Amino acid sequence: MNVDVALFASLTAFQPDGQAGRHARTFSVPAGTRIAEVISMLSLPDQPRVIFVNGRHAPEDQKLCEGDRLAIFPPVAGG
Amino acid sequence: MREIMRVNMSDLSITMEPLPEKWARYGGRALTSAIVFTEVPAGADPLGPENKLVFAPGLLGGTTAPNGGRLSVGAKSPLTGGIKEANSGGQAAHALGKMGLAAVIVEGTPADPSAAYMLVIEPDKSAKLQRVDAWKGMGNYEVADAIKTTRPAGDKFATITNGPAGEMGLKASGIAISDTKGYPNRFAGRGGLGAVMGTKGLKAIVVSDTGLKNLEHADKEAFQAAVKTFSHALTSHPVSGEGLPTYGTNVLANIINEAGGYPTRNFSNGRFEGVEGISGETQREITLARGGNVKHGCHTGCVIQCSRYYVHEDGSYWTKGPEYETAWALGADCGISSMDDVAELDRTCGDLGLDTIEMGAALGVYMDSGALAFGDAEGALAALKETVSGSELGRTLGDGAEATGVKFGVAHIPVVKHQALPAYDPRPIQGIGVTYATTTMGADHTAGYAITANVLGVGGTVDPLKPEGQAELSKNLQIATGMLDAMGLCIFVAFPVLDIPEAFTAIVDMVSAHTGETWSVDDVLAVGKETLTYERLFNAHAGFTAADDRLPEFFTTVPLAPHDTVFTVTDAELDAVFDFVEETAAGLGIS
Repeated sequence: MNVDVALFASLTAFQPDGQAGRHARTFSVPAGTRIAEVISMLSLPDQPRVIFVNGRHAPEDQKLCEGDRLAIFPPVAGG
Repeated sequence: MREIMRVNMSDLSITMEPLPEKWARYGGRALTSAIVFTEVPAGADPLGPENKLVFAPGLLGGTTAPNGGRLSVGAKSPLTGGIKEANSGGQAAHALGKMGLAAVIVEGTPADPSAAYMLVIEPDKSAKLQRVDAWKGMGNYEVADAIKTTRPAGDKFATITNGPAGEMGLKASGIAISDTKGYPNRFAGRGGLGAVMGTKGLKAIVVSDTGLKNLEHADKEAFQAAVKTFSHALTSHPVSGEGLPTYGTNVLANIINEAGGYPTRNFSNGRFEGVEGISGETQREITLARGGNVKHGCHTGCVIQCSRYYVHEDGSYWTKGPEYETAWALGADCGISSMDDVAELDRTCGDLGLDTIEMGAALGVYMDSGALAFGDAEGALAALKETVSGSELGRTLGDGAEATGVKFGVAHIPVVKHQALPAYDPRPIQGIGVTYATTTMGADHTAGYAITANVLGVGGTVDPLKPEGQAELSKNLQIATGMLDAMGLCIFVAFPVLDIPEAFTAIVDMVSAHTGETWSVDDVLAVGKETLTYERLFNAHAGFTAADDRLPEFFTTVPLAPHDTVFTVTDAELDAVFDFVEETAAGLGIS
């Protein structure tokens, strides 16, 4: 299945094509892939992160579905 | 013993008095709100002689407490009609604190309404009022340059200045505070306090701390130990130690957009297709490519370093930041997606002395009326410049989002207590909606920053799309924020404080070691509650009721894409946020 994976801020550098800066890529992954497996595949650093699937917070053990947008942020704040 | 400087613009006298003993535990917002509550009649005309403008460093101002140099500016607000504390970084707070000033109170109005004055405060606390009529109408940057020519070589000073918007009495006007390089780019922005300064005939304040040392502490060793713990917490937490210094506050653009809470085109969508152009990541890339600075503190003693300078293509200074709320207000809310356009609008607001949040919201409402197309940056700039032209349109826009929406017949006017909502839509992020609705300040994200647990996973998690737990979250944050504002601490210390227990303890320890009195966690939080109590009572006396603690109706009836949600926290929950006020007021002996 295809899912969109967007990485932001310092995580942008972990996109597999190495092109930092712009955020989303479409990935082909096996059906039933969990968020944690994508994180592992991308070798994201072992630090706290904020994860959204289709704009809603999601736990790392959640299974992804065809067409999902997965967005991962490092800890950020401001305001 | 800290002192209060009282500057009377009616008879041009300047007098000193000791800080009343009953307020010995107060600084910053606690003090400005206690003074405004006590000395300004709630029914006073905000632009009349009875209103007072109060400047106060925090209780830790003038010390080496990390991020302890915030300035509180208080008055009755011309925009909201209620009490106001506008909070700013910059160099002024530490300068006032180091000379032992708890507050400067500016009162009365000058006999000659055409006069403009500069208040000059020297390191020995001697002060004088100087006529500067030739500076009338000058922008903040020009005034800052003019002030430099009046100071001796080698002098170290901070400036507090008022732009033409404030001189004209516009309700969206703010007061500029100089940063570490002397740029007048930090702002006590919200609530129209520039207009109050304008009616006082005060164009500028200069505070020189040349030769002054940081304040002594009752227990120096204990203070330094607590500073070390606090500083470590601030620099080791991933948000304040990494995210903020790398990308600045505008790192939020993408995450709030992702969460579907990034108000776009006058709060008509929760996502902006042009977010990339005005995001913190893009801002950093552009700034670095042009040789700008992407990491410094807005005041001496800041260890978070989230400030930055945006520069022209030739590398010359253009404006600060822009900060997240500014990039949102002058960007997404107006459908504008270019960082350079945002920078020019921000620079113009800064020079004229206008609150970027209120003006972005006003322009968004104006665009919503059809008078100007969303995304028309050139038209937005022209409209912004018109605010100080004296034209009917200019005055309307310069009085903010509500004045603009009423004038142009716009259905959706995003204000609470007449003040514009900032950069988070309360429908998909309901905790911040509770803060907007209930805070004494009018819609203000900083008063109880529920984005923490709602979106960022800081200080726990509370589902942003549901009403459960939001009122309690907002209440606790509002109390904690009142405390931080009283201490003079930057509210960004809240991110580590919410996650690292030792950081909170370190605040208590710093205050104890500095004052020589034993404070408990409950004691510091009591200052937060007392601050809010003065403010709630002032607003009640000024005529505010529970009906004013509500969001505009469209937030509860018109669903917002992409989550198609409305704000669903109940009125009863909103009315319970300030359930501690009656008891606190009784303890203070006020009503």
